[in-house]
Amino acid sequence: MSTVLTRRVLALVAVLLGLSVIVFALQALIPADPARAIVGASASPAVVDAKAHELGYDKPLPAQFTAFMGRMAQGDLQESLRTRNPVADDLRTFAPATLELALVSAALAAFLGVGLGMLLASGLRAAKVARLVLIGGASVPGFLVALLAILLFYSALGILPASGRVDDKFIIEDGPTRLLLVDSLIHLQPNVFFDAVKHLIMPAFTLALVPALAIARTLDSSLNQVMREDYVRTARSKGLRERTVIVRHALRNAAGPTLTMGGLQFGLLLGGIVVVEQIFAWPGLGLYLDQSIGYSDFPAITGTTILLGTAYVLVNFLVDLAQAWADPRIRAI
Amino acid sequence: MMHRKRLTAPTLTAGAAALALAVAGCGAKTKDEAATAASGGTPAAGSDVLNIPYLADMSVPDPDVFYDIEGNSVILNTYEGLVKYAPDSTKIVGALADSFTESKDRLTYTFKLKSGVKFHSGAAMTSADVKASFKRRADVGQAPAYMVAPIKSMSTPDPLTFIVKLKSPVDPFMAYMASSWGPKVIGPAALKTNAGKDFGQKWMRTHEDGTGPFTLTAFNRGRQYTLTRNDAYYGTKPFFREVNLKITPDINTQRLELQNGDLDAVLHSFPASELASLPSKLKIQTEPSFLRLLLYVNTNKAPFDDPAVRRALRSTLDVDQLVKQAYSDTATKSVGPYPTALLTGQPVLPYTPDPAAAKAAVAKATTKKISMAYTADESGVQRRVSELLQAQLTAAGFDVTLKEVQLPQTYAYIKDLKHAPDLLLATNTPDAAHPDTWARIMFQSAGGLNFLGYSNKALDKALDDALPATGEQAAALYRKVGQQMIDSDSLFFLGDVKDVFVLSKGLTGVEHVPAYPWTLTYAALKRG
Repeated sequence: MSTVLTRRVLALVAVLLGLSVIVFALQALIPADPARAIVGASASPAVVDAKAHELGYDKPLPAQFTAFMGRMAQGDLQESLRTRNPVADDLRTFAPATLELALVSAALAAFLGVGLGMLLASGLRAAKVARLVLIGGASVPGFLVALLAILLFYSALGILPASGRVDDKFIIEDGPTRLLLVDSLIHLQPNVFFDAVKHLIMPAFTLALVPALAIARTLDSSLNQVMREDYVRTARSKGLRERTVIVRHALRNAAGPTLTMGGLQFGLLLGGIVVVEQIFAWPGLGLYLDQSIGYSDFPAITGTTILLGTAYVLVNFLVDLAQAWADPRIRAI
Repeated sequence: MMHRKRLTAPTLTAGAAALALAVAGCGAKTKDEAATAASGGTPAAGSDVLNIPYLADMSVPDPDVFYDIEGNSVILNTYEGLVKYAPDSTKIVGALADSFTESKDRLTYTFKLKSGVKFHSGAAMTSADVKASFKRRADVGQAPAYMVAPIKSMSTPDPLTFIVKLKSPVDPFMAYMASSWGPKVIGPAALKTNAGKDFGQKWMRTHEDGTGPFTLTAFNRGRQYTLTRNDAYYGTKPFFREVNLKITPDINTQRLELQNGDLDAVLHSFPASELASLPSKLKIQTEPSFLRLLLYVNTNKAPFDDPAVRRALRSTLDVDQLVKQAYSDTATKSVGPYPTALLTGQPVLPYTPDPAAAKAAVAKATTKKISMAYTADESGVQRRVSELLQAQLTAAGFDVTLKEVQLPQTYAYIKDLKHAPDLLLATNTPDAAHPDTWARIMFQSAGGLNFLGYSNKALDKALDDALPATGEQAAALYRKVGQQMIDSDSLFFLGDVKDVFVLSKGLTGVEHVPAYPWTLTYAALKRG
């Protein structure tokens, strides 16, 4: 187990280092002049040069890289060129919304994926229909699913809101977790809780669709393999019901590949967040990143990328732990 | 030994009742309920709340830092300058100044301030606040600081008189004062109480202390900004109690929310193709603006370093068709090098499509392969124009590659013009209704929006000569500069783009200033 932990910590350091290098390289390679963008079109060349000097963009690339890595090592993410706030503050503002959306989407993907996977393995007819629906949904691009969902559930049926995280008509108690679903319950604001749930449904479902299908397919395949094992035959011969055989005996042994797939899908889910947050006006990191790209706000882009990369590594670490739970042989490593 | 307690029917009923009570009784209050309670029981039904979307967060609500377009309605509705432009006009009228005079030598400007004006923090406005605000703009030293750079000294002989002396005559000085990005008067909550060591910049990232008809009561980045009616406003009291500016980055989501009544208006970037099929409960209002569609030509490399090939663009481009197809009725073909309202008697643009002449000229180009960049925009109209341009250029014999770029990328072209695109399509607007605010950034060699580095020393000198000149002498110089730009074929003036507002039909009192793009005067809007 300690090997797994060490491996993951090293992987986190390597990923953060790699991401830092990639982000810096992009910043250096993409021709943009953030200094001019900040001081404006009417500023004299002297003012532009002064701003470039202040930001360190006038130094040679190796010197810029050294300074950049030095700041990264100290956890200094600089100030956003657009919002003028420390990037760390901006991330604290935007990250909770993304965290809430990602957690709900991941839970939804797991629920749908495992449910469908088990249904497929059971061979019921309903499973084929469910698979067709899910494949249909997953083969449509995410932005189109989002727009279709808005057209149906917002415009036509009027049962779900199209944008935002919660209706701004509410006077909401802030904190402590900044996850609305949790905070609204802590502050005994059930109307805020239910409103937040309504706002979450469409973006979370849009994000969960593709991962759910991938999880279902992997689980179905693993279950099919496991169901041919001797101990399953033994369980069946003891007269256990098929559902009991799957849930009690097969599922845990089929969990390894499914958990791995779930971890990988979480990375894809994070990738989809930019588009989904844009369409649903979800005030999270994806929206922050998108707006920062349009402004060539490199400190903000770097900070967001590093944070999302860290989240990805951490989730995969959790997957390792879950695999260790599912398979005692891993714990012995 | 512990025993599990069975849930009985009475227990379940009690639980359900408790949940129902919780849902009904102890939820969060809404703003309407709070407003009703504050007004002593008069119900606030929400009809006096205006909901407007923003496509992106504004940078900061600090008038001495802010220099974008999205967000100017926050600045213009919470702060006021000494002067402003009258609605639908380029005439400068008093705002916080009751009157203003210019000395004969054009070096001294005297502003007589309105009395009884209060900041949102409650303090009375005096000339000392105006002086402190102007000084702050210079001290902060960000993009809009250039507007106070010509000032030599400021004085406040009495609490309602503010005098500015310039280093030398600057003809557009009053235009700077009236600009959307011009100096605003900021109160002591920012300049004293929360000044800190950065002239109040940190505090003003989320707060304001202006004198405008609305106060900024919430600044939730990424979500919503809330403007609340300033009941102590000295002018006409706004109809709307609250204006919610909702960050909604997708134009399609905005469109659907407008159709469903969750928004009251979309003030820019509405897809032109959707305008013809709007539901009956919405209306379109188009207003003149100074936004202009431009095609920059890279004169620093082949093929457009050859004046003859550049001139071929005059016969290649069918500007009429381009503007009609891309913009329908929301833009008109440009007729001169300046926005029409900025200068009378402008030189005429000599763009006449002639496919045969275009083909003949392009055949002589050293290379037919050219690249064209266009700046990204939410409505997709720039992409549409680029595609139409690509078709026209291809028909003339060019092989055109298109590329979408972000604005900061275009600023970097000047550093490496040999690798910059051959053509660049962009939409720009001047800072104010004065030809210098257009020519200086667009045409001058060091101009910030002279993206592809066209340089002409004679033109630069003429512009510098025009700055202190006045009346017909200055106008003649600006016309001469305009003609030089046309003759250079380094910048093609394609279209005058209108401000297009899509509004719910019940919204009246639309008041617009051409020099203030993408915004309306919220204080003048009414429902019904």
